[in-house]
Amino acid sequence: MMVRKALDWLYGGAERLAMAALCLIALLASAQVLGRVADFVLGLMGLPPYGFLVPSLAEIAGFLLVGASFLALAGSLRAGAQIRVTLGLSALSRRKRRVAEAFVLMAGVALSGFFFLYAVRLAADSHRFNELSYGILPVPLWMPQSVMALGIGIFTIALLQDLIAVLRGRQPSYLSGDSVEEL
Amino acid sequence: MDLLTVSLVVGVLLLLLLAAGLWVSLALMTAGLAAIFLMVSVPPGAVMTTTVWGAVNSWDLTALPMFIWMGEILFRSRLAEDMFAGLAPWVRRLPGRLLHANILGCAIFAAVSGSSAATTATIGRMSLPELLKRGYDERMAIGSLAGSGTLGLLIPPSIILIVYGAATEQSIARLFIAGVIPGLMLAALFIGYTVVWALANRSRMPPADPRIPYLQRLWQTRRLFPVLALVIGVIGSIYGGFASPTEAAVIGVVLSLGLSWFTGTLNRDTFVDALRNATRTSCMIILILAGAAVLTVAMGYTGIPRALAQFIVDLNLSPYALLAVLTLFFVVFGCFLDGISIVVLTASVILPMVEAAGLDVIWFGIYLVLVVEMSQITPPVGFNLFVIQGLTGHNILKVAAMSAPFFLMMLIAVVLIVLFPQLALWLPGTMMGN
Amino acid sequence: STWDMPVPYGDANFHTQNIIQFAEDVKEATDGELEITVHSSGSLYKHPEIKNAVRQGLAPIGEVLVSRLSNEDLIYEVDSIPFLASSYDDAWKLYDASKSALAEKLQEQGLQLLFSVPWPPQGVYTKKEVLSVDDLKGLKIRAYNATTERLAQLVDALPTQVEVPDLPTAFATGRVEAMITSPSTGANSKVWDFVSHYSDTQAWLPRNMVFVNKAAFDALPENQQQAVLDAAAAAEVRGWEASRRETEEKTQVLRDNGIVVTTPSAALKEGLQAIGSQMAAEWSEKAGDHGRAILEAYEN
Ligand code: NA
Ligand code: NA
Repeated sequence: MMVRKALDWLYGGAERLAMAALCLIALLASAQVLGRVADFVLGLMGLPPYGFLVPSLAEIAGFLLVGASFLALAGSLRAGAQIRVTLGLSALSRRKRRVAEAFVLMAGVALSGFFFLYAVRLAADSHRFNELSYGILPVPLWMPQSVMALGIGIFTIALLQDLIAVLRGRQPSYLSGDSVEEL
Repeated sequence: MDLLTVSLVVGVLLLLLLAAGLWVSLALMTAGLAAIFLMVSVPPGAVMTTTVWGAVNSWDLTALPMFIWMGEILFRSRLAEDMFAGLAPWVRRLPGRLLHANILGCAIFAAVSGSSAATTATIGRMSLPELLKRGYDERMAIGSLAGSGTLGLLIPPSIILIVYGAATEQSIARLFIAGVIPGLMLAALFIGYTVVWALANRSRMPPADPRIPYLQRLWQTRRLFPVLALVIGVIGSIYGGFASPTEAAVIGVVLSLGLSWFTGTLNRDTFVDALRNATRTSCMIILILAGAAVLTVAMGYTGIPRALAQFIVDLNLSPYALLAVLTLFFVVFGCFLDGISIVVLTASVILPMVEAAGLDVIWFGIYLVLVVEMSQITPPVGFNLFVIQGLTGHNILKVAAMSAPFFLMMLIAVVLIVLFPQLALWLPGTMMGN
Repeated sequence: STWDMPVPYGDANFHTQNIIQFAEDVKEATDGELEITVHSSGSLYKHPEIKNAVRQGLAPIGEVLVSRLSNEDLIYEVDSIPFLASSYDDAWKLYDASKSALAEKLQEQGLQLLFSVPWPPQGVYTKKEVLSVDDLKGLKIRAYNATTERLAQLVDALPTQVEVPDLPTAFATGRVEAMITSPSTGANSKVWDFVSHYSDTQAWLPRNMVFVNKAAFDALPENQQQAVLDAAAAAEVRGWEASRRETEEKTQVLRDNGIVVTTPSAALKEGLQAIGSQMAAEWSEKAGDHGRAILEAYEN
């Protein structure tokens, strides 16, 4: 019970960070647009433009998008938002379906775990070789890359939790809202 | 292993994984890893991670979650309902009635969004619930959305035309202008099909709204203004020089929040719900894009698309036969890879052949977009299908079947622009000289 | 064996053409034992990933624009200090003076420099004539890294960030009013659709470089290693020649399409030169003894 609570907190926290990353993209881009609007207004008043600049906006937005996408993985999996083709599964009997579901989750855990290891390596490698972004602000790439690894790590945990649930004969999280697809 | 065997193994593996119910994104990644493992002596895991990082770390892609977020905000406001209520009296006599809102909505939205997934997700979030609530045929509502969502690629701005322009050193401005008429033509074909379908299937159309006196109709039209203001605001921010196309997506979010606040539907719950849903949906689409990128880089390493394109080159076909074979090639590849990847992977083999055949490179870009658009709605890998499965819960095969008539309309559009190249070339020629 | 080679630019680009020839030379010299498959326009790895991919051994060989890496080390920035080396002869001297430092830096990451070819000299594209540094004052100039931002600040212009594919729209709608790039890029992206003037300031000659993963190179048999080195040396000579030709041809293309091409006046040159000296001084200060040594070697 404690474990499950802690995990829910983990998934929820990651998702909130992902949401915050999207908000931050919106804020930064809005600031840049407002800067142009301000210059336009200054121009109407016959004043020289100020030229407000959000340095490396495009690159930083890209990094934030990485954060938003990977930190949201676990939450979107559990909400059933990650899509798959269930046509084959729904044709199976309850028993066979459980086996298939366990197989899919095992494949998912294996791939995601593999992905996680290499994502950690990518971040560590970027750190070791001091890889930096190329724009006006030099951002060390290991920072967004570690967030990517973190998101994949949490995703792996979420898949593993569902695998254990299915092996124990319980419903995986991504089906819980869906009465038609009950196992 | 030779190319043919590997292609078959990878294709079958992908189908099996998908049929077994593995998540689409993970299935694509696994297929890509398998192809690399079987044919290339590089570490598949490192290739995957580097590729996924490069695919997701993208400024252009940030427009996608922003537009999806905008759709979620509008879905929770009264704006979508208002828009349909304002439109309804005007399309009462037009066969197909509000089904056209899907098509026109996508065509208008395509003028701000460069991607078809974003177009489908944003418009669909608003239009599908309204159409179903009003009793329209689900098949047609979904099919027309899937079809018209692809307009996002053809009507400028367009991510795929930017990629093509960069790969071929063509003017992006010219390519954009060249896409306008074919885009409108395709929208007209969709509208035409909808009209014909509605005439032939009167029984499947909801009963018509009662006739409204003209003055009252005008009064009802005021409900269109908020959406109109939104569209003008977003398009205006680009063409007024205040925002880049990607930033315009953020303007869309800000304006929708403003409208939703103005109409009293914005509160803490709707804000958080909209943002959370947008985060989940874009996470799903982006992970699939990342999976597609892994399969694409695998195809780059194995050289399968290149070899096939080379095979077509070696056939030495006449222009029309060449275009027929190319169309078949793109449609088949389009089932498994996403459109932009196909363009990138084959451009350097196919373009010299296209030039040798005397075809105009700008024209070919538009042809390519049309053909590649079709891949958005062909299973198993079609992004509009994924988006609509996310919206409606109907699985992609069912959505693909619903979109089939619109696929045919695209084929007709391809035939039309092959027969009448001026459809693509006239506008850039008149507007920009030579 | 077969080597995959990611390169950022399209097939028609003169850098890519040169590399395709390089690949053919290697194939011929090794009797087809070593084949290099060129993946153009970022079709295998996109520009930002190419160095990383080669370092990790995901591709044994690749090409990047040197100054893309300038945030990582100042040595990658030396070719884009404005008005330091603005002719082909000077650019060659500067390359010569900085080559060993560049190769050393790459070596630290397990990479080996094969050859480096410059882009045509950078000029200023605008919608109005630029006769003096004052004409640049207040203009929104495209800045894409720290150097171009600093340059814009020094001419009292407004640095503005615009992504390459967005340039036509940005110019048309006034989000940007000037950019600094080569006649090559200008002609290839058909700038006449959105600007009218080109001032041939010859600000700097940025270089691309081709490099190999050291381990992959060392794993080749000796005769193949030699073949790669020979082909690289030939490609460098050919590339510099091609770049000179490219400058003339593409400047002519600009003229043919109605762009007003101007040679900077003495006043403009003087003004820019002053800014260049300041930026060189700033660079040398940041780069310390190492950087000073390069500048000294270049100036003698
Ligand atoms: Na579009
Ligand atoms: Na498809």
